[in-house]
Amino acid sequence: MNKLHFKVGLFAAASLLLAGIFIVYLLNARGFFEKTFHLQLAAASADGVAPGVPVVFSGIEIGRVTTLGLNENGGIIIRTEFLGRNAKWLKENSTFTLDKPIVGGAKIRVDSPDLKAPALPDNATMLLLTSDISKEIPALVERVKAILANVEYLTRKDGDMNATLANVRTVTGHMTGEYGMLEGVLGSPEKARAVTDSLDKTRALMTKLDSMAAKTDQWLYAEKGVAAQTRESLAQIRLMLNDAQSSLKKADAMMANAVAISANVKDGTQDLAQLRAEIDDAVRKANDLVNQINQKWPFARNPEVKLP
Amino acid sequence: MNFLAASIESLGAKVVGWFTVGYGMFAFLAQAGLLLLEPATWNRATFDVVVKQVYFTAVQILHVFLGYALVISWLIITIILSTARDFGLTEFASEMAIRVLVLELLPFLTALFVALRSGSAINTEVALMQVNNELDALAHCKVPPMQFEFLPRLVGGVVSVVTLAGLAGLLALLMGYLAIYGVNAAGFEPYTRTIAKIFDFRIVAGLIFKCALFGLAVTLIPVTAGLETPKKLFMVPVSVLRGMMRVFFAIVAIEVVSLALKYI
Amino acid sequence: MTAVAALPDDVARVSHELPLRANLSALDNIALIPIYQGHFNVAESNRQAQQLLKQLGHADIATLRDPDMTPAQRFITKLARALILRRPRLVIDRPGAMLYDVPYPAFIRHLAAQAETTGTWEIFDFSWNQALYRA
Repeated sequence: MNKLHFKVGLFAAASLLLAGIFIVYLLNARGFFEKTFHLQLAAASADGVAPGVPVVFSGIEIGRVTTLGLNENGGIIIRTEFLGRNAKWLKENSTFTLDKPIVGGAKIRVDSPDLKAPALPDNATMLLLTSDISKEIPALVERVKAILANVEYLTRKDGDMNATLANVRTVTGHMTGEYGMLEGVLGSPEKARAVTDSLDKTRALMTKLDSMAAKTDQWLYAEKGVAAQTRESLAQIRLMLNDAQSSLKKADAMMANAVAISANVKDGTQDLAQLRAEIDDAVRKANDLVNQINQKWPFARNPEVKLP
Repeated sequence: MNFLAASIESLGAKVVGWFTVGYGMFAFLAQAGLLLLEPATWNRATFDVVVKQVYFTAVQILHVFLGYALVISWLIITIILSTARDFGLTEFASEMAIRVLVLELLPFLTALFVALRSGSAINTEVALMQVNNELDALAHCKVPPMQFEFLPRLVGGVVSVVTLAGLAGLLALLMGYLAIYGVNAAGFEPYTRTIAKIFDFRIVAGLIFKCALFGLAVTLIPVTAGLETPKKLFMVPVSVLRGMMRVFFAIVAIEVVSLALKYI
Repeated sequence: MTAVAALPDDVARVSHELPLRANLSALDNIALIPIYQGHFNVAESNRQAQQLLKQLGHADIATLRDPDMTPAQRFITKLARALILRRPRLVIDRPGAMLYDVPYPAFIRHLAAQAETTGTWEIFDFSWNQALYRA
């Protein structure tokens, strides 16, 4: 037996074996043995998207953009590819968001709020949102919820407002001056006007909310509107807007009531001032929200809709 | 004026010399490449010389080389990890370490290692063969020196450098894993993801091609330098010196070009 | 001496100017030729080389390398290498330069008697050595 040949043979066999193992490992890691999963994303603009842009889920890359193309209607279709093992993160209620951070390359973010939802079929088409709109949707939902809670709190049966109004009712006084009884309640025409301003603002907000709800409807039921999961979020907001509106209506009625009833000047002052502050706050928040929604959502750009 | 003319002349002589050397090298390479395609080349004697070359170039130094690769990898990985931690860039550390070591540093060091050990030996041997008329004797016996002596050296060099760099790279990958995650399987998935991200087809093919070029450089240049030796014994050291200088420049040039192609 | 160097290709030469390959054994040096010229496999080539060495009466030097050989052993290896070329003419060029420690005319005659060759052996030597061949 030739010792030299044996050693070289051993070396060659070991090296080939290691190389083979590494290649199999690498091919496996790169998903060569897996089915690839395809997904098409429809987007309004492909700005910043190029082949190779990663699709990330919870910060981990699970797929890549392969090609960009146009469909018959001039819409942009982004084709993406995923390893079979990563397809489980894509659910029917997943949202796809194009993230363009200030530092670093663009990426498509996948959010799957409910991992128990049915999986997406292969070659499905989903809507790609740009981050400045869609990032806001969950945040908006949260904010609408908070305002709703606030208004709810104000108008609950044994809540502040009712108590205040009850208080107010027990207060007796004489209505004098331009602002009637309120001037008496608050001690000066300026303060009284502030309360009626709140009322005006509340009413204005109600009108705004009303028109917005209508626009949301228009968006929701429009043909080729939005993807299912976005529609859900919008519907949720729509419901909340309705809620907020009815709550505000209630608040408005109570305020109107408060103005109408005569009240004990001295006892009512503190309560009314606080109430005014709370309502003002709620109204301001709601107003901000509405403005923001109007600015950012696509239907705000619809020239047919005139804001009040 | 005379001085200027003289310096221009010497520059011209140098340039012509470089071109002659370069031309000789590539002509030799082309000849070797053509022979490689000929079935007659692949006889047992040639194969035996290849095996011998691989033995002396790779197998004989394997333990020394792997020990050296281990130490270098461990050091570099530790430095990169601690620096990355200091700057809060830990998530890039493993990728950075793999790129630096497996793709650049280890192939380069392997080429230097093989050049210093086998390249110089080949250069000396070919120079001595040339000076001692052994090549003439082979020619008289109609044993083609290219097939019998030179081609196996080139093949052996390429095989050795590719294999050694590959083994060192695998060792560095293992070291990197141990340095980052320790002895447990918890980091296997993220590490695999990092590896999958780095080693796409182009990178792997480029790495193998670069190592093959290194292997060619550390054998082809010494062989041609040895063949250039005038038939005087005292010219052998000069030939080795020149050959080794050229090998060094070639290795650096290959590395620079590969870096430029990759990142520019 | 240029006369020897200018001999045509079909002449096998044994000359101190054509050394053995220093890092190969005697057997490998000889077996090289059937491998490359006759396209025999290694085992067959080695067998032929070994047989030739045996014919020349030096089967024991097969594993020696050039630096370990005596001048006579080196000469025999070179001769075997020339014989295995199987060319019609064999020229021994200045045997005195290779066989400086043996009475070489007798040595060569002895070898020629042992080797079963078909062609002729020619010895080129200096004229002042002519006396040595008159035995």
